[in-house]
Amino acid sequence: MKGKRFLTVVGVLFLALTFAALPFISACAPAPTAPTAPTAPKPEDQPLKLGMTICMTGPAAEKGSPMGHGKLDCIKYINAELGGVNGHPIIADWYDNGYDTAKQVTLVKKLMDDGALFFTNNDSKTMQASIEIANSAGFAGIASFSSPICTNPPKHIYAQMPDYGDDWAAFANYYMANIWKGEGKPKMALELLNNTTGYGARDAATCLADSLGIQIVDVEEHTTTTISEMDAMTRIKALKPDVLFISSTPAPTAVVIKNAYDLGMYPGIVIGCAHASYTKALVDIAGAKVTEGVYGVFPTVNWGDNVPGMAKMTEYCQKLHAKDYGNMDYITSWAEALIDAEILRLALENSGYDVLAKGDATAWAAVEKNGIQKLDYDVQGLHGPVKYTPGDNRLDKSVRVFQVVNGVITPVTGWVDAPRIPYEKFPDKFPWAVAK
Amino acid sequence: MAELLQYTITGITVGMVYALIALGFVLIWKSSGVANLALGQLVLISSWFTYSMLVQAKFPFWFGFILVILFALALGWLSERFVLRPLIAQPILSLITVTLGLGYFLEGVVTFIWPWSVDALPRLFPTEPLRFGTAVVSQEYVWAAVISLILFGLLTLYFRYNKMGIAMRATADDQLAVQACGIPVTKIFSTSWMFACVVAAIGGILMSSIGGITYGLAETGLKSFSVVILGGLDSFIGTIIAGPIIGLAENLGGGYLTPLTWPGVKDIIPYIIIIIVLFIKPYGLFGEVRIERI
Amino acid sequence: MGLPCGIHNYTYDEDMAIIRTKTHWALLIGLFVLLFTCPLYLSNYWLSVTNLIGITIIAAIGLNILTGYCGQLSIGHAGFIAVGAFTAAVLTSVFKLPFLVALICSGLMAGFVGLIFGIPSLRVKGFYLAIATIAAQFIIMWVINHLKITGGFLGIAVPHASIGGFVFRSEASQFYLIITIAILCTFFAKNLARTQVGRAFVAVRDNDLAAEVMGVNLFYYKLLAFFIGCFLAGIAGSLLAQWTGFVTTEQFSIGESILYIGMIIIGGLGTALGPILGVIFIRLLQQVLTTILLPLVEAAFPALPAGFASGINPILFGGIIVLFLILEPRGIAHRWMLFKAAYRLWPFSY
Repeated sequence: MKGKRFLTVVGVLFLALTFAALPFISACAPAPTAPTAPTAPKPEDQPLKLGMTICMTGPAAEKGSPMGHGKLDCIKYINAELGGVNGHPIIADWYDNGYDTAKQVTLVKKLMDDGALFFTNNDSKTMQASIEIANSAGFAGIASFSSPICTNPPKHIYAQMPDYGDDWAAFANYYMANIWKGEGKPKMALELLNNTTGYGARDAATCLADSLGIQIVDVEEHTTTTISEMDAMTRIKALKPDVLFISSTPAPTAVVIKNAYDLGMYPGIVIGCAHASYTKALVDIAGAKVTEGVYGVFPTVNWGDNVPGMAKMTEYCQKLHAKDYGNMDYITSWAEALIDAEILRLALENSGYDVLAKGDATAWAAVEKNGIQKLDYDVQGLHGPVKYTPGDNRLDKSVRVFQVVNGVITPVTGWVDAPRIPYEKFPDKFPWAVAK
Repeated sequence: MAELLQYTITGITVGMVYALIALGFVLIWKSSGVANLALGQLVLISSWFTYSMLVQAKFPFWFGFILVILFALALGWLSERFVLRPLIAQPILSLITVTLGLGYFLEGVVTFIWPWSVDALPRLFPTEPLRFGTAVVSQEYVWAAVISLILFGLLTLYFRYNKMGIAMRATADDQLAVQACGIPVTKIFSTSWMFACVVAAIGGILMSSIGGITYGLAETGLKSFSVVILGGLDSFIGTIIAGPIIGLAENLGGGYLTPLTWPGVKDIIPYIIIIIVLFIKPYGLFGEVRIERI
Repeated sequence: MGLPCGIHNYTYDEDMAIIRTKTHWALLIGLFVLLFTCPLYLSNYWLSVTNLIGITIIAAIGLNILTGYCGQLSIGHAGFIAVGAFTAAVLTSVFKLPFLVALICSGLMAGFVGLIFGIPSLRVKGFYLAIATIAAQFIIMWVINHLKITGGFLGIAVPHASIGGFVFRSEASQFYLIITIAILCTFFAKNLARTQVGRAFVAVRDNDLAAEVMGVNLFYYKLLAFFIGCFLAGIAGSLLAQWTGFVTTEQFSIGESILYIGMIIIGGLGTALGPILGVIFIRLLQQVLTTILLPLVEAAFPALPAGFASGINPILFGGIIVLFLILEPRGIAHRWMLFKAAYRLWPFSY
């Protein structure tokens, strides 16, 4: 080929020049814009970046999708109607992690690079994959659905709501105080999903069952794709428990309750559910008749309750994501976005925009110290008040007990406090809880 | 003793549900030698379409059902025509991977059209369970078992006596010879995929009645692998017999072993059975033993 | 067609050389320079993506040896990676052993488990073996979940790797560690194909009955393939564990296993370059769809409700895999070799 030698030499030279120039190309900052007249910058031009990783697609999309909608709608509302945080618009820097932990690790680093001030996540599996990175970089994170490992020992990860262990503790408290009328210790059986959602309840029970006066007679495990738990329920039925606590997601919980109904166990025993499964989907799948009277704990209010934040949330939900109306996960993350805005407001007022604008480790520390750790907010009544107390990285510490009445999830209590579970008192069972 | 009856009845009925899903898998394997890894997603999208017809469009059940069958036929035809046909005669691994890509694609379509990703079909079966002595079983499982048996009967008769069915078996055996006989192999692949999608749709309706429409439907294919291996990858009767066996093993094994070992033993039993069967009788109970020559 | 025109081999060493001409050496050194100066111009995010690609390449090379060279279809690779990850996690965080010891031990442990689950390969082939490996994955996951020492369902935190007191805390240091190991593994795999073991593998893949007749010990070589493939998976697992910082079994699902198969097939089965290209393609596709395309689409239609485009991600992902396989079923490596041949023979590219 004529000129092949020439082409080769040119090609090699070009490649070599490109390699050599790469460090310089990336080191060049974008050319600074011509300075305008030195007036005070307007808040509208000084946005605050909020990082979010949401599992919009993938196996957890049934929760991630409405939660993502809730958060993003709320940010839209805050920017459109409230003018942002003290005039500064919020930029929702969000990415879909697809419930994939490897992707989540890279996305957290992306958020750190993007200059986000803190990040929020809405499921415990990907949050657990992020804790090491976030903690070692000092990048604060808030988990909507958390697990005890995320907040114990307390570092830079905060839980928006109590986790599944706290659910068990709250329900057990309520049961002993209001439902159990017999003598001695009631017998409780646990039906758990085979992941941290389920086993969170068991770990809490390990810590607290004795002190509450409950006897755990059976622990059963199931998968998310189970279509029949008859064998487990038959075993449980033979042990004649007084109460069954299910810590799982809606579909398997529906299967368990239907099986209990078929076996004639329910109505009869008391059934309580953790908040991961206690949504409208549960009532839809199992049927209103079968789920009548099932208790559940949930950390937020239900749709239609008379609280200050309900009107705007209902309006935006009906306008933008009407299909999510009735789904309590939407409430959870709308509330979370309100909390995020409050954190930004506190950080802004206490540290000033210039510190936050840098988007680096000093900004993250400022947001954490002066924002998250100064929280004392009522979340417009949508869930229990959030307040930071040292030593406890859960922001909202209360739940509400509900019951299914005529196919509708209705509240039966006000805000019940979920006390912090002392995992570190059992170091051999829970070595991760001991601060290193 | 009462527990034994309960475990047995549950095992048989649940096993028949697995067998129903496995029938779709065996159908495609039997007529084209392709392992359809997108079976779970086909079940998922058919269930969502059923939901669309029955709940969103509010058609009466029989009309909606017919639409679902038509949709499944169209889906099968489209999948085969655009995804599988270009890869005829390629190595089997490429075919398996392309079904994987198809699975992701269908999952994305589902997320796009129905983003709220969990819902329930209207009550298709009465809630009162049936009683056999002291044991109870929910009506949905019984319907699933009956429908599995009917489908099995239809498919076996079809494959044995219908000209197209015999042509399908011939294609699985030797594509070149079939082409030499003048049978259009592409038409056979189309038909087998359409049938498999219809079976998946029916399976989807039944499984959604039991556990709702969730992402978990996409994983049901994995559970039925154990049925398929035990019964034999290319045998319908193997599927129908292996299904209840796996169900029984799960429930009886889970029922009696769980108090002695760990909770959750029931979930691992089908996979241990796979390994054992592969050691003892690799082609399954009724599978055809392939004799290899150099 | 392996060498440019005019280059002839006169000695055995020349014939066997992997890097034969001066141009080859120049390009290789250029590639190494480019690679090792990456941290200078890549942002933290892209460095982390590169690290993920590096770890995946190591595992994919293992799978390629098992499936591509030896023909043993294995759809349970994520399970073996998990064995490696958890072994490394337990050894470094509970027993406080040094990282290099944990690295080797996790490879050995994963290889050993691979040996056990490779025994069915002596009885079954093809898709049956694939189902056996799927069962292996589920059994491994279940056992890890129910063992006390691996933290049960909650998982374990893993400290960062440290060699001789230096802790690989920053992304850049992790990069050097991972890339070095990845290069070593690539070199190992490339050479394996040229040895007696590699030739025996290929013979087993092409026709195992004929290979047995020729005197290749099927039992030994099939199990060896499983051992080597899973050893590399174990090494990848231990690197993954310390890169993420926290391991749970949910990170190693059957979807991951199937994705690995997709990676090596798209890359090109049975070639040395295949796994690298396939991994880069799939991982970059995932990242680009998530961080660049999706926000772009969302920003382009602000009036539509947020999150409307989330379905596009899997649609495009699956669609691109399908399209790719339809257009080039033999993988990117095959395309690359066609391109090289065309370049060398131009204008006579037959």
